[in-house]
Amino acid sequence: MRKAFVKSLYEAALADEKILLITGDLGYGVLDIFEKNLPNQFINAGIAEQSMMSLAAGYASTGHRVFVYSIGNFPTIRCLEQIRNDVCFMENNVTIVAVGAGYSYGSQGYSHHALEDISIMRSLPNMKIMIPMDPQDAVDSTSYILSQEGPSYLRIGKDGEPNFESRIERCSINKFKEIRNGSHGTILFTGSIGKNVVRAAESLLAMGIEVSVAGCTNLSFLDSEYLEQAAAKGPILTVEEHATPGGFGSLILEYFAVNGEFPKINILGAARNNLKNIGSQEYLLELNGLSSENIKIQFAALL
Amino acid sequence: MIENKSSIELSRKSRIDIVKMTFHANASHSGSSLSSIDILSVLYFSIVDLEKIKTLDITRDVIIMSKGHAAAALYSVLVNTGLMDRELIGAYCDDGSLIGGHVTSSVPSIELSTGSLGHGFPYGVGIAISKKRNNHSGNVIIVMSDGECDEGTTWESALLASHFKLNNLIVIIDRNRLQSLRGTEETLALEPLLKKWESFGWDAHEIDGHDHLEIAQAVSRRGSNPKVLIANTVKGKGVSYMENTVLWHYKAPNEEELLLAIKEINES
Repeated sequence: MRKAFVKSLYEAALADEKILLITGDLGYGVLDIFEKNLPNQFINAGIAEQSMMSLAAGYASTGHRVFVYSIGNFPTIRCLEQIRNDVCFMENNVTIVAVGAGYSYGSQGYSHHALEDISIMRSLPNMKIMIPMDPQDAVDSTSYILSQEGPSYLRIGKDGEPNFESRIERCSINKFKEIRNGSHGTILFTGSIGKNVVRAAESLLAMGIEVSVAGCTNLSFLDSEYLEQAAAKGPILTVEEHATPGGFGSLILEYFAVNGEFPKINILGAARNNLKNIGSQEYLLELNGLSSENIKIQFAALL
Repeated sequence: MIENKSSIELSRKSRIDIVKMTFHANASHSGSSLSSIDILSVLYFSIVDLEKIKTLDITRDVIIMSKGHAAAALYSVLVNTGLMDRELIGAYCDDGSLIGGHVTSSVPSIELSTGSLGHGFPYGVGIAISKKRNNHSGNVIIVMSDGECDEGTTWESALLASHFKLNNLIVIIDRNRLQSLRGTEETLALEPLLKKWESFGWDAHEIDGHDHLEIAQAVSRRGSNPKVLIANTVKGKGVSYMENTVLWHYKAPNEEELLLAIKEINES
């Protein structure tokens, strides 16, 4: 996902000199192409995230489109007030790119686990939130962001995620992307946790339960048509590699609280009672309730 | 062109507007506004091209008022130079007002809303880098408080500006030596402040922040490094009973105090 994003931004930057990429001294081996070939469109701001974010906003205020690249919590929570005041309130064209969503950097410890960023970004005014589910989606999200004005947040995983081959079609970024279709209910997800959701759906099928699976990329534009069809069909489970307060599931709950009737629904996210545990992404997903097995159990419990 | 007589007249009018505004709104920060008003008056009268600011010309000098709590000072100077309608300051802090107690960018000539300290400087660094990379003339001038030197972003930005050799960036520190509860040296000592900036690779100068000619000359000199002017000022300058007291960081004048303030300013 990370390489797909950088490649698509690089291609856009070749054609548009107004694009600037700022890194907070991260992206070893990934951003070299920018630094080497487009030095006038690249800044390494050092390890100074707060100033980096205000600097990005100031640069953008001169008519440029600025992407700020760093890991997990560094370009988000570390410089939250700079995002709130200088980017969002001033409506500057700054896109925050946080790589290492969820437990992508699992073995690096809690400082590197991104579990609260969606909630915090969702609470900011004027902020568009894009969470691609696979590399192709990261490319589509980048194109979408480039077609829009104002602040945005792009939350991406790491490298090596496969594209969802089974996806029916590459539909509009504003539509939920249905990967499987079933008549007994729906599992909605955001981000790269989709692979565990698909495995859970396969296990459910072995139990005779046919479940639809759909991913949401643009959290700032909910596909109400899909949500209403899903609610009419059966129970809904939401899944995110993120804590539940204020996250993706919370967004869906807010939708149903305001629009129409509540379906039978549960929201599944990362438990935070094992914060000090270290391990691989797969290990931490399992430990904190996001294994395909637990997704299966949680959906079955809704029937 | 440096015409310090007229900038002195501008600062006198603006001082009166400041005390009227804080009286009207029962608002704080009279002292902070009065200490920085001479700096702002010189910048807007003698340094910048007002037409370029009006038209938001990409080659304009960009002034960022990073000490957002001295909003009354900025608003009054903008009104007295024709960059903002007088009606707006008549409604300072009122319900539905476009301008509040901290700098609010509701009019185009105000580049950035501030109020939380340590934001204006890095924002200005971004603009200064953009100007350099895109060959746009004009300087970026940041007016900040001495208390703002407590913020980590001040020193991050000092590193950044020096690293990127931003000789189109000027930081003016309103060195009134008082912050929110006590003096700066009792709170979180800044001295030797000039040496700190010099060691960060800046052209650093101490000036009298109430001497218009000295301010104008110091701003106009351009070297090869970013420049900081430590402008020694008196908090509350121009109103005797407001000078050098923390009380007038907070207190608004009552009617009697307002009339006395206007009298003193007019007679100065």
